[in-house]
Amino acid sequence: MTDSWTERLSDYLDDELTLGERAALDAHLAGCATCRDDLARLGRVRSWAAGYEGSAPRTDPWPGIRRALGRREPQADTVPLAARRRRRTVRLGAPLALAASLVFATVSGVTWWVARATAPARTAPTADAMAVRAAASVTLHAAESYGVAIGELERALVDRPERLDSTTVRVLREKLASIDAAIAEALDALAQDPASGYLADHFADLMRRKLSLLRNVASTASFES
Amino acid sequence: MTVLQNDRRTTGTDPDAVDVELAVSGDAAAFERLYHRHVNRVHGLARWLLGEDDLDDALQDVFIRVWEKLHTFKGQSAFATWLHRLATNVILRRREVRRTHEVRSSGPAAALERAAAGRTSPGLGIDLEAAVDALPEKAREVFVLHDVVGYKHEEIADQLGISAGTSRSQLHHARMALRQYFEV
Repeated sequence: MTDSWTERLSDYLDDELTLGERAALDAHLAGCATCRDDLARLGRVRSWAAGYEGSAPRTDPWPGIRRALGRREPQADTVPLAARRRRRTVRLGAPLALAASLVFATVSGVTWWVARATAPARTAPTADAMAVRAAASVTLHAAESYGVAIGELERALVDRPERLDSTTVRVLREKLASIDAAIAEALDALAQDPASGYLADHFADLMRRKLSLLRNVASTASFES
Repeated sequence: MTVLQNDRRTTGTDPDAVDVELAVSGDAAAFERLYHRHVNRVHGLARWLLGEDDLDDALQDVFIRVWEKLHTFKGQSAFATWLHRLATNVILRRREVRRTHEVRSSGPAAALERAAAGRTSPGLGIDLEAAVDALPEKAREVFVLHDVVGYKHEEIADQLGISAGTSRSQLHHARMALRQYFEV
């Protein structure tokens, strides 16, 4: 059954009526069970659509996508997958060797800390502790991803060095020293309090900053070389 | 010197934000994680807007385009929102080029009746997916773009070459057909 108001129910639901129209429809709804029923169902349709999770493809197209990406030229700062390591072949010279060793130590530290912080507790955890651990594990996953990427990038910088200008190297050394000190401090703090969400966020942020710094240097160096 | 600039901020706890940043630097594993997290919803959108033909090719087009444009994602919206809009653009453009979209119904009224009558179990997702599939083409497109992707009527009007009023009307008819699947 429909009436003259039925056509306006979707607009009402989406808050697209004028104040006057809305007030009139409110008055109608107060006395019309059919429209109230329809309105409730329309709302459920909208909620279902907003939360729609999709359906899996019959065949996974990823292998084809992966192959296509390998052939694709980059746009702006994207890099073809097959050329990742080639683009990062830069020469920074000896001063960065020390920084590289610090990175390897940091990555190892991350891996150790992730394992420690997410390891099953010896006693049954409380609900709060489980929630903290779940949240922390997401952050830790991020930090670990950063650590792996940093290690890869640093190896590329050290293994096949090109020349950057001395100012860049000096600034980079200062920045790396500052970030590495902060990372070491964060690792120490996390060793004392492995379940701290704040420290986990702080640590992940430091790792992200270091990755961003190295990536920018590598990218610039590849254009300069 | 721009070496130390462009220090884009992301939260440390959003897996999409982390993987976007890694993927932009060329990390294939990060891009694959993004793909697996979002492919099902993109597949659903593509199936509703394109039909079954060329679905694999369309998905491939979408994710290649995502790869190419990933550096333009600045985090002002959720990654999923950005992705769905980009996917919709790719899908609709592909459909324009193809122009062989299968006519799925004998007419709008018949399709709306069929969508409303196909109910088997209230609220069951698979039935609703089939019901959306059975909607008349324009109603289905508007419903998907508005209620699933989140476009406004004015944006849908631009995308589909219809008026905003027609978009509102089609959305209402689609929702009314689908409401049969829900108990109050």
